[in-house]
Amino acid sequence: MARLKKRKLKYRTARSLFGVLYVLPFLIGFLMFFAVPLVNTIIYSFSNVGVSDQGGMTLSFTGFTNYINLFTTEVSTTSATIARVLTEENSTILTNAPIIIVFSLFLALLANRKFKGRAAVRVIFFLPIVLGLEIVMQMMTENTGGDLVATRGNGIFSQGIANYLLMRYTDLSVSVIDTVTSFVDNIFELISQAGVQTLIYLAGLQSISPSLYEVAKIEGATGYETFWKVTFPSIANITFFVAIYTLVDLFLRSSIAEEVYNFAFIKSKIGVGSALSVVYMLNVLIMLLILLLLLRRMVKKNES
Amino acid sequence: MKAELSKEVKIYLRHKKQKRFIENVFFFCLIAGMCFAILYPVIKLFPTVLCDLEDLGNPDVIWIPIKKSVLSFTAAWRLMMKNGWMTMGYTIGYSAIIMLVEVFISAMIGFALARVKFKGSNVIFFLVILVFLVPPQALLLSQYIHFKNFDILGIFQMFTGDTLDLIDKPVTLFLLGLTGFGVNQSLYIFIFRQFFKNIPKELEEAAMIDGCGFNKTYFKIMLPNAKPAISTVAVLGFVWNYGDTYYTGYFNPGGGYLSYILQTVFDSANKEYTLNALKVWYKLPLVNDFSFDAVKQASILIYLIPLLIVYFIAQHWLVENLENSGIVG
Repeated sequence: MARLKKRKLKYRTARSLFGVLYVLPFLIGFLMFFAVPLVNTIIYSFSNVGVSDQGGMTLSFTGFTNYINLFTTEVSTTSATIARVLTEENSTILTNAPIIIVFSLFLALLANRKFKGRAAVRVIFFLPIVLGLEIVMQMMTENTGGDLVATRGNGIFSQGIANYLLMRYTDLSVSVIDTVTSFVDNIFELISQAGVQTLIYLAGLQSISPSLYEVAKIEGATGYETFWKVTFPSIANITFFVAIYTLVDLFLRSSIAEEVYNFAFIKSKIGVGSALSVVYMLNVLIMLLILLLLLRRMVKKNES
Repeated sequence: MKAELSKEVKIYLRHKKQKRFIENVFFFCLIAGMCFAILYPVIKLFPTVLCDLEDLGNPDVIWIPIKKSVLSFTAAWRLMMKNGWMTMGYTIGYSAIIMLVEVFISAMIGFALARVKFKGSNVIFFLVILVFLVPPQALLLSQYIHFKNFDILGIFQMFTGDTLDLIDKPVTLFLLGLTGFGVNQSLYIFIFRQFFKNIPKELEEAAMIDGCGFNKTYFKIMLPNAKPAISTVAVLGFVWNYGDTYYTGYFNPGGGYLSYILQTVFDSANKEYTLNALKVWYKLPLVNDFSFDAVKQASILIYLIPLLIVYFIAQHWLVENLENSGIVG
């Protein structure tokens, strides 16, 4: 008995040893490519970085000067103040994220229904995974000579006509109409960023037990009720994940990297570039934290 | 049977049929509209790309070009493929290899985090999430400097007298992939962890009773059973590495990756250079901004071909195994 116990213990230790061994690459990577750069960035951001005679770097502590310069004297590549760049970034991300999330849920709900040609439709619905790549979007949508089809083919797809029709036949105020139509105008861009989210939602929808829907049907629930009482609570967790993924993905696409690179290697102000990095990182983490707290509450409510 | 139906029932049935018909039409319109919204940016490229380069400013043309030509494709090919077919082959090979590395490493890490209890495993999982949340741009600068003067605990300095300069060497990208810091790799680790968490414990116990050690259990039992997660991660990994301009652009700009070549050749700052090349190569004195766009869009269509092929081959695994791919918690 004692021998068996000893063997079991040996097995346990061997197991956790192997576990650590398997995780080791990540730990090394975390130290080399995350922890050390993070600490270095913070150090650089508080000091004046110069080049020494031997070719190495010299650091002299300057306190918050880099941060103060960043927000007072420095400008971005497009000659806007940094504060403005950051607020613009945040506001576009905050308005786009909910639309992307709702869109991807909608696409997933459509793709989850049974109909002829579903396979083909799914192929198209996940296409944004490929078409939404940053480089592809950049090259497809940015036009130096102007958008030939959109300017000349204007008519059914143009924002102007939609605005006109809505103003003529509804009582909505101009500002409301304008925001709505500009969202619709942006739809191609927004939908192109919903590929992975649609995939996640569809996976979530398929993992809901069919018996729940059967019960709802027997109880006589309408499609609308079924959605809010069965589908929605079941995917609350997934919405949480999708929301975080969307925010992270949108922040990843931001142009801050270019600004940092520009500060550090073109204007050779490594300190200011590091300060911008730190500010940006705090910005992202705070946004995510707020989202986390808000959604936690929502998910808990749905679970109880 | 039919004769027995009363009038009311018939009316009810007819109404039901009509209702279903209207619903179907509505549903079909929605699906068609969504598909259109996704495909429109691509459809929009064709009239420009297939048009004669000098006829692009023609105001009579919207959808169907009058003078058709595939010259924009030829020009795009010549501009983007510095080494002919090899450029594309190299990029595909690079993406495939680094994708395999990422799958292998992430699966191991995910497995250990999901199935092995050791001190600090939860902390490590938290670190994975943290890495996912912190945008890599914020660390770009000091990572760059780190790679410029690369050293592990002063070992290289001791032997060679100098630190290693790893910037603009492909090794850097593999180093990142090998340690779980490739493009979105923390997401892959997360997916694998969720997947392995849901595999029944009995499977592992059975393997243990049959005398499999830890490694054998993992490579012979767990990994072959992880096909759904592997296919999801493999598709995402290939697509994202092929389309990556961030890591390739900052850490290995001279590496000849197609995505980065496209970004630099068709950057608006290089417009004049590209247009002059067109003028000289194809004797087209009248090329303008529109032609630049046309060539740019032709090149993106060429660029998309391998991606779309991989996507079409892989998508049925992606969709079939979706619910147990570990992508949902």
